[in-house]
Amino acid sequence: MESGSTATTATDSSIKKIALVGNPNVGKSVLFNALTGAYVTVSNYPGTSVEVSRGHAVINDASWEVIDTPGMYSIHTITEEERVAREILLHERPDVVLHVLDARNLQRMLAMTIQLIEADLPVILIVNIMDEAERMGLSIDLNLLQELLGIPVIGAATARKRGLNEIRSAISNYRSFCDFKRFPYSPQLEHDISEVTCLMQGEYILSRRALALLLLQQDQEIDELVHVREGDGYAPLAEKVRQIAFERRESFHLNLSLERMEIVRAMINQVFRAPEKRVVTLSERISHWAVQPLTGVPLLLIVLYFGLYQFVGVFGAGTVVDLLEKQLFEGLFNPWIIGVVKAIIPWEVIQELFVGEYGIITLGLRYAVGIILPIVATFFIFFSFLEDTGYFPRLALLVDRIFKHFGLTGRAVIPMVLGFGCDTMATMVTRTLETTRERIIATVLLSLTIPCSAQLGVIMSLLSKYPGALAVWGGVLLLLFFVVGLLSAKILPGEAPMFYMELPPMRLPQLTNVLTKTYTRMQWYFLEILPLFVLASVLLWLGKITGFFETLVNAMTPIMASLGLPREAAVAFIFGFFRRDYGAAGLYELQVKGLMDARQLTVAAVTLTLFIPCVAQFLIMKKERGWKVAGAIGLFVSLLAFGCGYVLNQALLMTGVLA
Amino acid sequence: MICGFCGFEFDENEGKKGCGGCPGGCHSIHCPRCNYKNPLETAMVKKLKSLFGAKSPTTGEKQ
Repeated sequence: MESGSTATTATDSSIKKIALVGNPNVGKSVLFNALTGAYVTVSNYPGTSVEVSRGHAVINDASWEVIDTPGMYSIHTITEEERVAREILLHERPDVVLHVLDARNLQRMLAMTIQLIEADLPVILIVNIMDEAERMGLSIDLNLLQELLGIPVIGAATARKRGLNEIRSAISNYRSFCDFKRFPYSPQLEHDISEVTCLMQGEYILSRRALALLLLQQDQEIDELVHVREGDGYAPLAEKVRQIAFERRESFHLNLSLERMEIVRAMINQVFRAPEKRVVTLSERISHWAVQPLTGVPLLLIVLYFGLYQFVGVFGAGTVVDLLEKQLFEGLFNPWIIGVVKAIIPWEVIQELFVGEYGIITLGLRYAVGIILPIVATFFIFFSFLEDTGYFPRLALLVDRIFKHFGLTGRAVIPMVLGFGCDTMATMVTRTLETTRERIIATVLLSLTIPCSAQLGVIMSLLSKYPGALAVWGGVLLLLFFVVGLLSAKILPGEAPMFYMELPPMRLPQLTNVLTKTYTRMQWYFLEILPLFVLASVLLWLGKITGFFETLVNAMTPIMASLGLPREAAVAFIFGFFRRDYGAAGLYELQVKGLMDARQLTVAAVTLTLFIPCVAQFLIMKKERGWKVAGAIGLFVSLLAFGCGYVLNQALLMTGVLA
Repeated sequence: MICGFCGFEFDENEGKKGCGGCPGGCHSIHCPRCNYKNPLETAMVKKLKSLFGAKSPTTGEKQ
């Protein structure tokens, strides 16, 4: 306990301190971030594994150290986090304690405010998340609450930057305000408290009243602290505490809790108004619809239609790609750069490397910037938007009952959703699933039926031009997803584990969050693909000048023919093995050149989506599942992809669909 | 930072990082509760946020 006093970080003693306290997830960290600058120190609290963030704030020209304490529910501590939070209050002598609570749970959280005031700590109460509370129709008389508590009370919505100026002002004016209130308990409890406090002579940061209550609750750390401070006076004090604790042994904790609840309830009755019929907010309604199968499935289809089809497929892969790839690259940039390179480099073979058919600039850069970038950008905007609304955990609950039939749980939504971004990384995330069975099934479904964002965007854009083509592609994939899922669950016997999760609230996405996440994802993605696209161009160039590429295309020609595809389609498949998105760009080019009709495009899109994953994903599969399983999955997926392509081609030819 | 999937609020240093799977290095933090992959903010985004007064929730230095 004493270690805390010597363990405080070395800071200028003239700098005042602010400690942020409160339950977990009430917005303490958001407030901490809003108050402090960019320089924050995160360190383990001495002697513990609990991390504490410290930062500096300048408020009205005065410098403050701000400490973000771990979440705590009471100053009578149970967890290590709570103990650290109390150590900070006990030993770091904060000049201001900001107690942050959730306005929606005022009654439950106000008991700790009472304890903090009772301990004579310089408390300012921040009633946070007021915006949500107001949306629910809850009303809190903050002025009356301030009067009843005798401390500054500020309503805030820190995530929306509401109330920050008032909080800063309350911090800098704190001293002139302070007016501690005492909350009386029953005569018997008051008598017990006074019997203990009158034996205490030491100097403490917390009030003797609060310490007496903690002693009577048999708080070991407080007992040790009092032992040190009281010295010789400790023995009679300890005896008195032991005697009272023994007399009240059956009901002390309960009585104290009930009395505090009564104090809070009396206060709540005066300051808190809830509507007679609870207002169900729009976000709660959407949340409810999203997890119910009857409403959740149509909602999912609406999300996919507008988000994926219209925004990523039609706008990103259609309009923006057309602008960048056709008009900017093909129309302006490529003719110019070809001229420049040819003027500088006299050797044709080297010219080919940069600006040839598979040139680093004319193919690699064009694919990366002209085709993949706009598709991935629109996909990540859609993905980050959906993520910020809190829709994904609801999707997990919605599909849980379907996934159960595949031997999976709703938890598998995490790798599946991430798979649309990149299957390679999603394959790795399957390791977080509970059983090996689940991991194998999820890996199979990922490598088989989940296209990556670029592939998805290109396919949506290409197939949307032909009525029915997209429906055939989607139908085949969905059918395979179900069939392979069901078969996998049969072949790999076992029980699907239980799945439950606490749903975070649904919220209106914040533009800054969406843009930040999109930019971050895009930057990493682009930096990752650009060198690979360049490498692929170099390999293709090497393949071309050595004749190996031509041999490979020739070898694949019979397979392409069996699928009803032209010889040139082999190029997209070879590209696809480097990376799925590279293959998707190849498919786009084939369509632009007018080499394939609706049927051929659909067959190629289905086969490419199902086709063995790219080199990177295969290597990760090997790393995660071993050579044997990865090899088996790879072989199975390849055979299934070409088998499905063949059957689909025959079926389309026979039925005349997409003719 | 707040997990984009389960809403769990955690410190960047608490999350799992660097499993070595992603080509080009790790740029993500996996949520300690649900393992969802959250993007790690780039230096430029952090700088921009600090410039506009909104400190990045992922900013911090381990001591």
